[in-house]
Amino acid sequence: MNDAVRVESLYKTYDNGVTALDGVSAAFASGTFTAVMGPSGSGKSTLLQCAAGLDEPTAGRVFIGGTELTATKDTARTKFRRGRVGFVFQDYNLLPSLTVEQNVLLPLRLAGKRRKDPKAILGRLGLGDRTHELPERLSGGQRQRVAVARALVTEPAVIFADEPTGALDMRSAREVLTLLRAVVHEFGRTVVMVTHDPVAAAHADSVLFLADGRLAGSLARPTAEAVAERLAHLGDLTTRIAA
Amino acid sequence: MIAIALRNLKHRPGGFIATFVSAFLGAALLMAFASLMDTGDSESLTTTATVGGGWCLVIVAFAVTSTLSLSVRQRADQVALLRSAGATGPQLRRMIVGEAAAIAVLASAAAVPVGWVLGRVLLSLLKDTGQVDAGVGYQFGAIALGTGFGVTLLGAVAAAWATARRTAGNAGGKPERPRLRRIGAVLFLLAGANCSILTATVMDGKGVDAMQTAGQAGIWAAIGLALLAPELLRMVTAVVGPVVRALGGVAGELAVTGVHSRSRQLAGAVMPVVLFTGVATGTVYMQGIEDRAAEGQIQPEYAQDIQTLNYVVVGMIALFVAVMLVNTLIAATARRRREFAQHRLAGATRGQLLAMVSLEVVLVAITGVLGGSVAALFTIVPFGSARAGHLWPDASPWQYAVIVTLAVLLTAAATVQTTRRTLRGPATAAIRA
Ligand SMILES: Nc1ncnc2c1ncn2[C@@H]1O[C@H](COP(=O)(O)OP(=O)(O)OP(=O)(O)O)[C@@H](O)[C@H]1O
Ligand SMILES: [Mg+2]
Repeated sequence: MNDAVRVESLYKTYDNGVTALDGVSAAFASGTFTAVMGPSGSGKSTLLQCAAGLDEPTAGRVFIGGTELTATKDTARTKFRRGRVGFVFQDYNLLPSLTVEQNVLLPLRLAGKRRKDPKAILGRLGLGDRTHELPERLSGGQRQRVAVARALVTEPAVIFADEPTGALDMRSAREVLTLLRAVVHEFGRTVVMVTHDPVAAAHADSVLFLADGRLAGSLARPTAEAVAERLAHLGDLTTRIAA
Repeated sequence: MIAIALRNLKHRPGGFIATFVSAFLGAALLMAFASLMDTGDSESLTTTATVGGGWCLVIVAFAVTSTLSLSVRQRADQVALLRSAGATGPQLRRMIVGEAAAIAVLASAAAVPVGWVLGRVLLSLLKDTGQVDAGVGYQFGAIALGTGFGVTLLGAVAAAWATARRTAGNAGGKPERPRLRRIGAVLFLLAGANCSILTATVMDGKGVDAMQTAGQAGIWAAIGLALLAPELLRMVTAVVGPVVRALGGVAGELAVTGVHSRSRQLAGAVMPVVLFTGVATGTVYMQGIEDRAAEGQIQPEYAQDIQTLNYVVVGMIALFVAVMLVNTLIAATARRRREFAQHRLAGATRGQLLAMVSLEVVLVAITGVLGGSVAALFTIVPFGSARAGHLWPDASPWQYAVIVTLAVLLTAAATVQTTRRTLRGPATAAIRA
């Protein structure tokens, strides 16, 4: 099986001296749904952003579908990224001045690709009648579904999602998670999702744990209980290291 | 709340620079002219002070008001946050007005030495042209300080109060009242038209005196048209938009969509372009007409005064408006950091964003130059009729070309440079802040 995403010894030290990633190597196989978990500040967001080409690691390499992302400069990286990588943020990051439809089509337009009809995908996400609405008129769950649609529109090999359900109620969260699962199992895409919620993580095929910027194990076929237990251990571990 | 206001000033000084700069320069100009009244009460001094100071007063009050309301409106998110934390409308109003008052006082204080120097320069100019006795000593006193501090403080507080009522008044934050703005615009335009008609009728044959009303006509009209900036911008976009879209590709499309949904913010950029083009074109061509009309005529002796004065005043005002233009554009662009970052996260390259902003500049510049040119006609046409007997000046168009080029260059340079700076670093850092 080939890897959709592979990161090799990623290090990231921010300008203020904080080391957020301390040598992370991992591979995410095509057509899988992986959750990334760990205590707050363990480097999950940093890992996702470096892997997605949104930020540059201090050292290490990132491969998307076998192509090295870290070898390219900003503009080239952006052009590569917008065709191959989708990203979903906790706080949506939709453009407030664009309608739902314009937001969804934005990556395609920026890439100079032919526009396609977003009706099908928006209809599937239950947003068929909101296409000409501005984001400010939508609920959090609806906005996040628009963000997922936008991440899917270029048919990327991989979609990264950073706490996509962090701001949602249980029902909206379940809708978004079901959607992400369908993206993987029906359309064969790869999803890497950061979450704090063991129930959300249980929707994934496997869970990767992160602590203090390093890998701290993984769990296949996760259940909410098993994940919660591992997290509790991880908490103990980091407290002990800190002490 | 006053404590929060002061903390805001200390913590986020960047957000207040625009207001500070316009208040500072405005106060300096006012102090310079007013100090001539402190110096003495000869006719030349009083004329210079009232004519020059009068024009400045209008422009300065408008500049301070518009930059201040821009900066208050752009902090709507902070106001909303405080509101949700339990701050009441009156508390927020006190905070916003408190900030404005503090900035106005600081800016006026900083303006004292500059105003003093400018006032001296004015006086020595008047002495050099023999309009004031060489023995007169320069005085910088109560009138200069009173006018400088008074107008700046009053303008700032009034603007803050009015804007705060809208921003902090209701929880929904319905920030605009276009009807009030439009009524204001119509009133200014009527005042301008009134001065134009007076110039062409009552002042016909009064020679150089017609400059007073003609000059005012242009300034009132420029302010009126500046207030109509959102409407003008939408009109220009409706006409030029399809071309921009066709030539600019995605960037063009984004620029045009941006104008439609952000016409109010972009209007803030149009305003100073209107003022600059209007005031500069109007006065330069008026002086041109006057110079030609005066050739070979016997002039009242104060004609000389007014001519020197006009160039000095125009120079100062044009400089002030140019600084305000750059100042406003930098502030308005820097605040789009988050929006730019969101575009980049959606896949826009830096190049695409720069192209988008440049096309916006095209729309802003066309609108501003158009508005300014119309305002200038309020001065030029009636003055030409009164002084030279024909409506259209037989002057060369190159001065106009220089003014327009300058306006476009300043607009483009300020916006594109700021955008470039705003796009530094990874986009993820910009959305976290
Ligand atoms: N832009 C930044 N500048 C400086 N330090 C940063 C920056 N972003 C993150 N950090 C630091 O890097 C570390 C890892 O941050 P990161 O956001 O990756 O954690 P996280 O695992 O996503 O946490 P959370 O679960 O709270 O979102 C933290 O100590 C954080 O303070
Ligand atoms: Mg995070």
